[in-house]
Amino acid sequence: MTALAIQMAASLATVMALGWLARWIGLGGDIRITDTAHAISLAHEGIYGFAGVDAAIDRAGYSALVRDREGRHVLIMIKGNKFVTRLVTPPIEGRLDHKLLTIDLREPDCAPVTLNLGDKAQCWASGLRHIPTAKA
Amino acid sequence: MEKLPDPVQYAIPLFVALIIIEMIWAKRRAPDKYEPKDTLNSLLFGFGSTVAGVLFGGIMIGVAYSAYAIRPITIPWTWWAWGLCFILDDLAYYAFHRTAHRVRWFWASHVNHHSSQHYNLSTALRQSWTGFFAAGFIFRLPLAFIGFHPAMLLFCGALNLIYQFWIHTEAIGRFPRWFEAVMNTPSHHRVHHAVNPRYLDRNYAGTFIVWDKMFGTFAPEVEGEPIRYGIVKQLGNFNLLWGVFHEWAGIVQDLWRTPFKTKLGYLFGPPGWSHDGSRDTSDMIRMRWEQSRDG
Repeated sequence: MTALAIQMAASLATVMALGWLARWIGLGGDIRITDTAHAISLAHEGIYGFAGVDAAIDRAGYSALVRDREGRHVLIMIKGNKFVTRLVTPPIEGRLDHKLLTIDLREPDCAPVTLNLGDKAQCWASGLRHIPTAKA
Repeated sequence: MEKLPDPVQYAIPLFVALIIIEMIWAKRRAPDKYEPKDTLNSLLFGFGSTVAGVLFGGIMIGVAYSAYAIRPITIPWTWWAWGLCFILDDLAYYAFHRTAHRVRWFWASHVNHHSSQHYNLSTALRQSWTGFFAAGFIFRLPLAFIGFHPAMLLFCGALNLIYQFWIHTEAIGRFPRWFEAVMNTPSHHRVHHAVNPRYLDRNYAGTFIVWDKMFGTFAPEVEGEPIRYGIVKQLGNFNLLWGVFHEWAGIVQDLWRTPFKTKLGYLFGPPGWSHDGSRDTSDMIRMRWEQSRDG
């Protein structure tokens, strides 16, 4: 039993050491959404078949909203050095504060996302009020 | 003859060394192949899986011995039996693995291994905590029943697991054609972890890729198409417990909310199945991709 406990403790210590090593040697990197085409491409990859026609990108490039011709919206969020996409479907909560649009998808693994969209924020907030009920 | 060492225990130092070597490779060539939070998550998945094995592994072994006790014949402890056992165990693994991708009950456990958006050696250790609960080991029971000793089966299964470690890498391109034709390789297994529509539900092999070629589930890696890794609906955060249990939580939620007649579909239908067609299975995504390609 003691040997097993020591083995488990050593395994956990090794796990933590490898995790620390990955950070210490600078693995990961910084990624951003560069432009509208990039955002549309990410939306298409994340939600296969989603044909975006316009995008609003957060000033920092960490998140974006993409919409298609039917008025459906895809939210792109950063996670580590990858992006995660979600089709925006009701019920959601959107809050507009000047140039900041906060979207809460009400999904257990997605924290509310605040996008600094500048002057576009109001227009995109309005678009979110008219999203169709779509496939999850 | 029944006392055999666990080869995985001996392989762990090698796993750690190879991960460090791959990290150094990534630092020099492609730092984005790793993400520290993802790496720590994957390794904690592996640690938790080991703990689950300590807690519940005895049950699996007990069931295997029960099946062996009613065997019609006894397969001897000879060299050819070892070879045959390894090959048949790999076939059983193929059957398990294919089912784990096609039946939500088994997917709820196996999804843990696929939920990283990265593909590196740490991903190989991203193992399920709920494999015993899902009872995936039943796929190997027929081998005990036909007369392979459980100790031999466990040993061959462990060798299969060790083989599958090193193929979780982007640091290796392709091997000579003869090797790629027979063995599972990094190239074949990259396809398996991809979410690109053309690659969904392909290359289930453990050690020998021939099973996929025999049963029509093989897809080669296509040069020029960047692979995106993970699952169709990527996890939104690095929360370990959510990562482990999210699909089980989804099953419970669906069983609670949906009409009675449809509930079995949410348990044993393919991942993404829904009674009202509001979600996508991998077959539906692939079909849309094929239609867009054809027309």
